[in-house]
Amino acid sequence: MRGFADYNPIAAAVYFLAVTGIAMFCMDPVILALSLAGALVTFALLCGQGGRAHWYTLGLFLVMALINPLVSHNGVTVLFVMNHNPVTLEALLYGVAAAAMVVAVLYWFRCFSCIMTSDKLLYIFGGLSPRLALILSMTLRYVPLFGQQAKKVKQAQTALGLYKEDNLIDSFRGGMRVFSVMVTWALENGIITADSMTARGYGLGKRSRFRLFRWRAGDVLLLTGSLLLAGLALMGVHARAFTWYPAIAAAPMDALAIAGYGAYGVLTLLPAIIHAKEAIKWHCLISSM
Amino acid sequence: MALLDIQHVSFTYPGQTRPALQDVCFSVHAGEMLAVCGATGSGKSTLLRLLKRELAPLGEKTGRILMNGVPQEDVPEAEAAYQVGYVMQRPEQQIVTDKVWHELAFGLENMALPQPVIARRVAEMAAYFGMEDWYDKPVSSLSGGQKQLLNLAAVMVMQPSLLILDEPTAQLDPIAAAEFIATVRKLNQDTGLTVIITEHRLEEVIPLCDRLLVLEQGRVLACDEPRQVIAKLHDRPELLCAMPAAARLYHALGADGVCPLSVREGRMLVENCRGRGRGLPEEECTPGTPALECKEVFFRYDRHGPDVLQGLNLTVHEGEICCVLGGNGSGKTTMLTVAAGLNKPCGGAVKVFGKKIKDYKNQSLYRECLTLLPQDVQTVFLCNTVEEELADAQAGVDMLPFDLRPLMHQHPYDLSGGEQQLVALAKVLATKPRLLLLDEPTKGVDAAAKGKLIGILKELKARGLTIVIVTHDVEFAALCADRCAMFFRGSVVSTGAPRTFFSQNSFYTTAVSRMTRGWFRNAVTVEDAAALCRQGGAE
Repeated sequence: MRGFADYNPIAAAVYFLAVTGIAMFCMDPVILALSLAGALVTFALLCGQGGRAHWYTLGLFLVMALINPLVSHNGVTVLFVMNHNPVTLEALLYGVAAAAMVVAVLYWFRCFSCIMTSDKLLYIFGGLSPRLALILSMTLRYVPLFGQQAKKVKQAQTALGLYKEDNLIDSFRGGMRVFSVMVTWALENGIITADSMTARGYGLGKRSRFRLFRWRAGDVLLLTGSLLLAGLALMGVHARAFTWYPAIAAAPMDALAIAGYGAYGVLTLLPAIIHAKEAIKWHCLISSM
Repeated sequence: MALLDIQHVSFTYPGQTRPALQDVCFSVHAGEMLAVCGATGSGKSTLLRLLKRELAPLGEKTGRILMNGVPQEDVPEAEAAYQVGYVMQRPEQQIVTDKVWHELAFGLENMALPQPVIARRVAEMAAYFGMEDWYDKPVSSLSGGQKQLLNLAAVMVMQPSLLILDEPTAQLDPIAAAEFIATVRKLNQDTGLTVIITEHRLEEVIPLCDRLLVLEQGRVLACDEPRQVIAKLHDRPELLCAMPAAARLYHALGADGVCPLSVREGRMLVENCRGRGRGLPEEECTPGTPALECKEVFFRYDRHGPDVLQGLNLTVHEGEICCVLGGNGSGKTTMLTVAAGLNKPCGGAVKVFGKKIKDYKNQSLYRECLTLLPQDVQTVFLCNTVEEELADAQAGVDMLPFDLRPLMHQHPYDLSGGEQQLVALAKVLATKPRLLLLDEPTKGVDAAAKGKLIGILKELKARGLTIVIVTHDVEFAALCADRCAMFFRGSVVSTGAPRTFFSQNSFYTTAVSRMTRGWFRNAVTVEDAAALCRQGGAE
């Protein structure tokens, strides 16, 4: 069973780039609605429940949607006048659209961070240079290690009575000393790590790179599919030429626009489609067994 | 032809007058397993580092080191790096990357091998070491023993012909150490890999190695089959103390016949002694005023995590040394942090000298009351020299039951494991504690320093301190404890005086207890067994 998370990281990254890029730069209401719906479905599929974070996002959505008509007075349809300033329908709708865009992009980013583990990021950036990949990997190791050791030193020093009193100045002073010894620790341990690296022949010449992921037919399909659908969506958006100010206007829905919207809808649902396809395949396999 | 030929090698560190190595000569044949032993500062590490060209220390070297008949300097760079594998003491610091698979691939990436070759070798090595389950885990989630096995595997993927191990198990608990040594032995047997190993803990290594090289002050004292070497160590207690219990018992009984190395051979030695069925009297713990009381203590790190302490009950009486033993991850260290007030229990009560921990306000718990020496003693040090360190803690050097003056001007990180432990202990004692909590004080400490540490702890006890020691080291606990407690799954399951405690356990017990089982009752230390054997002889 090969879920969306198992696809080649570069293909997945291109997919996310396409789907979020279009949502970010095309202020088209249909696109935004599709994007938000697709992001929510994908999020539920890839990351599970999400819990309390949904409420924060809802709050963010409401605040952003309401602020725009209060600060922007563009537009021709005046709803009412507040403090000598007109509040317009166009600004209100634009606010809602912008808020939807931000929330949709937020959800796409969350999906991205659920999918892109450090191994995958390493794979993507390591393609630029094997040395960069190593530095990235070492950083990912040492930053948490440093934190853990600092915590251990702090505990040890607490038990040794480094902190004389329960007050802020004293704990700040103690913290500074812990930090300074951590620098020594990092340098000292860096020597051991460097030894371990030279002992294994680091720095003798050109390095190669071990890749955990490879390209399969499905990955190529995902990559080309994402690009094609994104291209079609862009053409549709361009043909629609939606404008918000001064008055809401758009070209009539022609075949190209419908195709574009359709393409974007499919694009946002690609992970769900892959998921459904695998589920059906699995079901057939089980029943044929 | 020998794989490695060391001819009259002497080595002096810059700025030193006394050479670290003097006229060292020996050779290692392919497929051999050679153990190197000697006291701290005898030049073991220097010797091993000289054998690995990339890690050779700076200094003045004379003599020749030949690899397969070629002088070390003339071996091509790449071959020198990949043909000799080197694993050091600290598991954590040797790991370079963040994921297990990447660490395995690191050396092969340096060799600039193509992807399919790397994939094959990494897969092969992961399967051989049984790492499939943790292959794509972050390194930080591994235990110390797993980390060291990873270091070994990361070296072995490069297919070296010589493996050098510099005290690889010093930082591991006994079970992980035994697993590591067994893996090394398996590699040696399965692939004919040549191994040179130094160790503090020779109990497991010596029965497995082909030859034993003893270094003393930079000179080779002996290099021969282990039985022969040990049999000759009669007048050298400082070297003998690191040897397996069976060999020590053999010497205590007058070194007659063939020297036994393992528990199995030791049993034959004991069997030949007369006086079967003799025993030592059982010991009872005398209860006193409680210094530390844990009642039904529960603790977990995460709200949704498992209970690390589950209804822990433990009482430590004033003026006793209490050793808490138990497996890895049974919650021993957590118990100490809870007892020291560094972690707050989720349920139950902890009392120190009859007063609840939370009633000690304003850090007064850590002034003249209680102190904790953590497992990683490096976390105790804050300064650049031992002298500053002690001045900072206002530690009176003269008050200590041991002498630190020779170490005063060194950096704490440069000291040996045993010395670090003593400096840390001095710092800890400066807070004038009445209750001392020690977490694995014998980790990374050699046998001679361990003997010294036992003396110091007994001296501190005589001065009225109460000491709680969490340890894996059963031999150490047998020698210094007044009471032992067995920890299992977050609580204490049994306690008792060491003699009774260890003679009731059949696996988690000292080598001597396993050697004398069925013949002598309650013999736990080499001295116990020797005394009983001698009594039998006198009959």
